[in-house]
Amino acid sequence: MSVERPSFLSGLSASLPIVMGYFPIAFSFGVAATRAGFTPLEAFALSLIIYAGASQFLALALLSSGAPVLVSAFTLIAMNLRHVLYGPALMRAAGREAGTRHAWAWAWGLTDEVFGQALGALARGQRFSEPYMFGLGLGAYVAWVSGTVVGAFAGGGALDQWPALSAGLGFMLPALFLALLLSIMNRRQLPVIAVAAVATVAGTLAISATSGILLGMLAGALAGLVRR
Amino acid sequence: MNWDLLTVAVMVGAANWAFRALPILARTDRLAAGGWLERFLSATGPAAIATLFVASILPALVPEVATLLPVITGTLAVLATWFARHSVVLATLAGALAHGATVWLIT
Repeated sequence: MSVERPSFLSGLSASLPIVMGYFPIAFSFGVAATRAGFTPLEAFALSLIIYAGASQFLALALLSSGAPVLVSAFTLIAMNLRHVLYGPALMRAAGREAGTRHAWAWAWGLTDEVFGQALGALARGQRFSEPYMFGLGLGAYVAWVSGTVVGAFAGGGALDQWPALSAGLGFMLPALFLALLLSIMNRRQLPVIAVAAVATVAGTLAISATSGILLGMLAGALAGLVRR
Repeated sequence: MNWDLLTVAVMVGAANWAFRALPILARTDRLAAGGWLERFLSATGPAAIATLFVASILPALVPEVATLLPVITGTLAVLATWFARHSVVLATLAGALAHGATVWLIT
């Protein structure tokens, strides 16, 4: 177990796989936004203010189809409900003495991938620190916003000439999730992981991808209640 | 600037901040100490990461070699690198590299 509290720079360097995964996705969001008729400034505003991948893509579809503002907003808000669980789960792993004085700022960056990376680091014995959370979150946020802007200005087809590069970058996030899963896996967590995986597949096939994610997380967390 | 877009963005962004920050600021994990909520929260992390992996890989699981093969080689590269080096960064990069290289070889 490391005694040192990890620094801002350590968090920034831990964000590298997330940065490499986010940039191409944000790039394609920028491209999609301009194709849907939005300006680069509007694409930039969506990434800066919403900062949640899947719901931003859905926002483009809703807004460009003329859906009512309130309907659009509540649909997008419902998609991100899962984030409610991340903070408490992370702080539980961080321990009771972990500081949260600046959480109002760094928690903004607590996306799926940042949460996974932070939890994985704690599971590997690293101590919790707010500067580390700032570094990790900032790297990911800058990659997301800058990827959007570059994509919005580059326009469609920029990555089409490099299919292998595009595919490799597209696999960065699944690879990161798998590596994080391996890093936190132990025998006690196997039933939780198995239940979450099955519920995700069932929910996705039966209802939708968003429902599959929410159902998978809830079913896995509930499986943690029944085993002792 | 499209004002409908800005209104939606601000509402959704505010909700995202509230979802991410308020449960931490309220230290709901401390309220949960020792009870069923603590067990629920400790299972949430592994459940979330497993869910996100399955959800991210699910669209590629189709009976089509050109789509499936890169996913298989990428996944095997992550597993092999993880068990050899126990590094999240190296395993992630190896997976992406193997995936991209497979696409390059078969197209």
